Amino acid sequence: MIIDINFVGLIIASIMASAVPLILASCGELITERSGVLNLGVEGMMIIGAISGFALMTVTGSLIVAVFGAMLAGVLISTIFAFLTQTLITNHVATGLALTIFGIGISAMIGKNFVGIPGKEFPILFESLKDTIPLISPILFGHSIVFYFAFALPFMTNYFLKKTKLGLIVRAVGDSPESASNQGINVRLVRYACILYGGAMSGLAGAYLSMIYTPQWIENMTGGRGWIALALVVFSTWNPIKILIGAMIFGGLTIIQFHMQAIGVRIPVQFLTALPYIVTIIVLVVISRDSRKIRLSTPSSLGKSFHKDN
Amino acid sequence: MNTNLKISNVTKIYPGCVANDNVSLEFNSGKIYALLGENGAGKSTLVKILSGVIIPDEGKIYLNENNLNLNSPSDAKKNDIGMVFQHFNLFETLSVFENLIIDSDEQRESLREKIDLIMKKYNFPIDLDIPVLNLSAGQKQKVEIIRCLIRNPKVLIMDEPTSVLTEQETSELFLSLKKFSEEGILIIYITHKLKEVMQLCDEVAVMRRGKLVSVSEIKNENIESLANKMVGQNLKTIKKKKAKTSSDQLIKITNLNFTSEDPFETNLMDINFSVNRGECLGIAGISGNGQSELFQVLSGEIISEKKSIEFNNNYIGDLNPQERREYLMAFSPEDRLEQAAIPQMKIFENVALNNFKSSNFFNNGLINENKIKEHSKKIISDFNVNTDNIELKSQFLSGGNLQKLIIGRELITSPDLLICFNPTWGLDVGAINYIHETLIKINEQNKSIILISTDTDELLKLSDKISVIHKGKLSKIMNAEEVTSEKLGILMGGAN
Repeated sequence: MIIDINFVGLIIASIMASAVPLILASCGELITERSGVLNLGVEGMMIIGAISGFALMTVTGSLIVAVFGAMLAGVLISTIFAFLTQTLITNHVATGLALTIFGIGISAMIGKNFVGIPGKEFPILFESLKDTIPLISPILFGHSIVFYFAFALPFMTNYFLKKTKLGLIVRAVGDSPESASNQGINVRLVRYACILYGGAMSGLAGAYLSMIYTPQWIENMTGGRGWIALALVVFSTWNPIKILIGAMIFGGLTIIQFHMQAIGVRIPVQFLTALPYIVTIIVLVVISRDSRKIRLSTPSSLGKSFHKDN
Repeated sequence: MNTNLKISNVTKIYPGCVANDNVSLEFNSGKIYALLGENGAGKSTLVKILSGVIIPDEGKIYLNENNLNLNSPSDAKKNDIGMVFQHFNLFETLSVFENLIIDSDEQRESLREKIDLIMKKYNFPIDLDIPVLNLSAGQKQKVEIIRCLIRNPKVLIMDEPTSVLTEQETSELFLSLKKFSEEGILIIYITHKLKEVMQLCDEVAVMRRGKLVSVSEIKNENIESLANKMVGQNLKTIKKKKAKTSSDQLIKITNLNFTSEDPFETNLMDINFSVNRGECLGIAGISGNGQSELFQVLSGEIISEKKSIEFNNNYIGDLNPQERREYLMAFSPEDRLEQAAIPQMKIFENVALNNFKSSNFFNNGLINENKIKEHSKKIISDFNVNTDNIELKSQFLSGGNLQKLIIGRELITSPDLLICFNPTWGLDVGAINYIHETLIKINEQNKSIILISTDTDELLKLSDKISVIHKGKLSKIMNAEEVTSEKLGILMGGAN
């Protein structure tokens, strides 16, 4: 059997494409969690982003408005979470779960009028270079701008956290909000900003799904990707580069199990569908098991409310 | 240049408590000032006001005649007031350097040079690139001090800095503080340890219950005079009357052994002793020589062989703490917040944890809240716990009050034997005195005590018989009159 080398390139590209929403949402949530806030509403924010992007695209016809609108929608819904957990000091876990349920419900309601409408074609970059080098070209060229942004994001996030003053402040707040507050850092402001940023990235991840990856609106179309994004953050031990690895493994297994089903491998379909979830987590646990590093990168105040009293 | 810091009529009121009541004080650079007071006297509130963490209800702060508006910690920093908190304000998972650069506006390189200079000058060797959680308490404190020094402070406030330090680290700290003072930094030193005030400071201000009670020069004071000012009454020197020699044996330990699987625990080897009614047996030793294991074996947290412990003519070695309590034993463990009480639970709930069949705290599995609350109120009033709110979470009680509550909870059922482990560890003078009086009273009522303590003075004061534990072995039991602290010291070191 001769394997077409360009076909391999295409498979890798499709794996990368399926990893994009995970990377976006995870890197956003990573910043939120690094500031000490546990937002379990990723799934909800993603699906809100998906319907907002698709609806705005259909109504306004402008892709730019749609993409930024989806991010704004993510920001808006995460503002609810921020207000509840940071201003009213509600429990992070319960509030995040409520956000997900709310997001799924409201997206279904808005989405009723958009079912069955075909999406628009999203412009792709470097299309002319697609056939220049075998194997490499299909991987590197011919993708949307969001795709390139997603693969740059883990490195930018890493740089932000490790090299910039603002990143240091975010980590400090997540480590000890009390100390940060005593050092004159406005903990609430930092956490608000990180939550809103996480919302924007989840919104973008959702928009990528409904506008680029499968350009249409289907109810519940995020299909648990928000939860996987959350798991990636934890099992990568809050390391953006490992998020990239985890997202690729998940995407890869998802794509490969499709192909295995297609060629009729005699393994129950349900098992194959479940495979990516469990394997991704196992791999991440194995590559992150240095307990000292876990201690150093886990935000100590994660999920704990901080209330400054005078 | 001279620095003058003035606190003028500062008042801060919390619900149910006046933390600072119209406090006025003046400090000048070149001297080291002590702010002395018991736990809860309002010292910490006052210095938190100076560092901008707490905003006072009334009053003003002046630095060199300028009225300061301290609304946040950054205001204090801008005005050259540096503060080292009792509980470190460090980010454990960040590196030392990251901790230092976070509130600095300087470039990395110039800040690094500056830090290196400070570390050389004051002999603070610290690796800047390791995470703070790998540092010892003394090193962490140095990081906090460096953080203040980077800003060239005019005022440096130290809040109970020695509570986490070893002797060696404490004397190093004192040397540094004296050096800072010579260089013109105004030092305010907050503590409740009288010895340190005498050693280090030039002037002392004493606070009690939110009020300033005296300001004086150290040379006019001594430890007793300061203690009396701090507590507000003349402290009685407690002396124990010699117990009547009774031969009525209450508890007898025979050939008790304990072998631990945990390499950090000490094995107990062949422990034998007995305690008569009305007697206090003191067990001395340097901590980590098996005291905690001995306490656990005696209290039933670790079960031993049935016949190794005989109490009131019953063999109880295989009983758990609850069952031993039914035989009228009572226990006060070393760690008040970890072992003796549950900090997040309310006072009366903590009282209910120690229940007897006869106490009727529970009816058919339901909580009899009225009964428990009534019982708790009795403990609070009988044992002088300074609160009237039994709904208060235990974590908000000061160490002294919590210890009184725990001892009270144990004693209100009038047990025959109280086993306590470092009962006055970390308490202030007033509370220590109260606990000591209570323990003496127990003996006078012909009840017995086993007192495991690392405080030699305490043991000599309270015990009738003393033994020393070293590497899990007990020395022979001696009469307290024949023992001196020197002799105990030698035995604690392992000599014969």
